[in-house]
Amino acid sequence: MTVGATVSKTDTDLPTAAPSQSGGGGGGPDPGAHDPSGGGPAGPGAGQEKWWRGERLGPQVLRVVTHLPLIVLVLIMAALIWKAIPAIRYNGFGFFGRSVWNFGNLYAPILHTHGVAHPPGALYGALPLILGTIGSSAIAMVLALPVGVGTALVVVEKLPPRLSYGIGFCLEILAGVPSVVIGLWGFLTLGPFLMHHVATLWANHVPDVPVLRFFRGPTGNGQGLLTSGVILAMMIVPIIAATTRDLLRQVPRGTVEGAVALGMTDAEAANTVTIPWVRSGVIGASMLGLGRALGETIAVAMVSGVLVGSPIRSLYSAFSTIAATIVSQLDGAFTDASGLAVATLAELALVLLVITLLANVGARLLVRRVATTALPVGRGI
Amino acid sequence: MSEVTSPAVAGPAAGTVLDRPVMSVDDVSVGFGPKTVLNGIGLPIERGSITALIGPTGCGKSTLLRSLNRMNDKIRGYWRRGRIELEGQDVADSSTDLLSLRRRVGMVFQRPNPFPMSIRDNVVAGVRAHGMASRSELTDVAERYLKEVSLWGAVADRLGDSPFRLSGGQQQLLCLARSLAVEPDVLLLDEPTSSLDPVTTEIVEDLLRNLVPDVTIVIVTHNLAQAKRVSNTTAFLYNGHLVEAGETSQIFDNPEQPETVSYIGGRIG
Ligand SMILES: Nc1ncnc2c1ncn2[C@@H]1O[C@H](COP(=O)(O)OP(=O)(O)OP(=O)(O)O)[C@@H](O)[C@H]1O
Ligand SMILES: [Mg+2]
Repeated sequence: MTVGATVSKTDTDLPTAAPSQSGGGGGGPDPGAHDPSGGGPAGPGAGQEKWWRGERLGPQVLRVVTHLPLIVLVLIMAALIWKAIPAIRYNGFGFFGRSVWNFGNLYAPILHTHGVAHPPGALYGALPLILGTIGSSAIAMVLALPVGVGTALVVVEKLPPRLSYGIGFCLEILAGVPSVVIGLWGFLTLGPFLMHHVATLWANHVPDVPVLRFFRGPTGNGQGLLTSGVILAMMIVPIIAATTRDLLRQVPRGTVEGAVALGMTDAEAANTVTIPWVRSGVIGASMLGLGRALGETIAVAMVSGVLVGSPIRSLYSAFSTIAATIVSQLDGAFTDASGLAVATLAELALVLLVITLLANVGARLLVRRVATTALPVGRGI
Repeated sequence: MSEVTSPAVAGPAAGTVLDRPVMSVDDVSVGFGPKTVLNGIGLPIERGSITALIGPTGCGKSTLLRSLNRMNDKIRGYWRRGRIELEGQDVADSSTDLLSLRRRVGMVFQRPNPFPMSIRDNVVAGVRAHGMASRSELTDVAERYLKEVSLWGAVADRLGDSPFRLSGGQQQLLCLARSLAVEPDVLLLDEPTSSLDPVTTEIVEDLLRNLVPDVTIVIVTHNLAQAKRVSNTTAFLYNGHLVEAGETSQIFDNPEQPETVSYIGGRIG
């Protein structure tokens, strides 16, 4: 029962509601939490009083259980903030604008600035890490969205059932491959291939002008932003493809036929019926994928080149993300007796948490906007 | 095998339009894979008339209807023999443009199937796809056809709303408006009122009567009274054969074939 309540809560949170349902009460609070009759069916005859007490206790327990995710989130945040306080005070706002990662002289006597203990010369800046996190995830999204949706379209519309079942199975396998395996493959095979045989096709021919300059330059040894983006995309594609496939299968045949019967081309029919029908769900799945990409640690740590303190010069340069930095710097950070390095990693973790939360809130708003404009309200009246 | 009494009746305005049938089905057999669903059907569809297709469930009414605007084309294993003509040209001819065929031969389905867009956009979806009106005219077009199906009063103040909040009957009227908005010559209706209440059914029947003779109508119905009320011509299908077709009054009052007699008398189906 309690499990059921939490599940139903997550269900309403997932933005995969089919359009036809969006007219109804999509965002209703989970009924379990306030429904005393859900506390267990009163057994006939014996044990009446016990059941009665159980019914009273039920809602209280449920209330706590349904708020558990929120409580855990708040606790994690509080702990991180607590641990990060020295770093926040020492690093200041400059933390977000600097491209430097320097533990300072760990052998010299510890100094105190603003009441914070630190090794002399310690200086931290998270700008390249924040940009690396967002950039690699953005590359992943740009690649994974068309591939994922395209795969789903082909699987549902074009392939015979047997084959599409096989591909669906492969997608699920791919989704389950541990990221360390994908990371190692990226390090050994994909990265070198991309940098030596693919990126070289254009990297030296891009004009040396602002913006485009980012796509120019030596392609390096196989580790870097592009490889990370591609590796992340491979992790997201199964998520997007599987969700989109399920959504496409729910598009009512008769509605598509209605569009075809009006004399629409297949593309027009897709635009009229299929796409609006699945749009909000696809956005939801993409955001799930984005969350995964933002937080992916070990695979990125293996193919990013873990360059922590310098700006990202090109699409092919080594870089690092917040998550990869935390895992790669943690060991070293403990050698800082002042505790500043660890506090700074806590601050980084906090930044990642905020980015992820913002992405989630953004997704929620986007889904709501799409659901209300595309479905009930329509395009441009 | 199929005895076709020539339907002499044309629509009310028979004298003023061409006498040639707008569509004709000539010795048509249709099936899916090894299965034959329709056997040598021959049926002229007179210009400006209402033709009712009746027959027990599974006899092939929908299959015949969907063959007229080639909605079966994409179904696995579908095949067709014989000629189906629109204005003397085979609908499967390479020179026939499939999209314009479907614009000219519209279709309304048994279950309302509004598009996931606003009520107004639903009405003009086809108009837009065929570029039949400029952007600024779309709202006027929507209003005209919503009025035509007597839905305007119910939705005038919520054109931007979701069609899914309309009642089932209102949704069906909306789908009817959507089909009419592309100005079809022929309108195919597959049990359009089977999920509607008697009042809405009457609205639809009145509308169909008003549409002829500008639009030629073919309607599949299980409701014999409805066939009797609205149609000029009735065709009775049984087991994939056209058993009898002719003037509605003749089919109902004076059927020639024993199967027709039993079906109309309520003994088959
Ligand atoms: N896609 C298909 N594949 C194989 N057989 C089909 C297909 N569609 C229809 N049939 C068969 O064709 C026959 C006629 O079906 P159809 O839908 O035309 O009947 P109907 O007269 O419209 O029946 P109803 O009154 O129940 O709608 C049925 O036996 C049906 O099983
Ligand atoms: Mg049918």
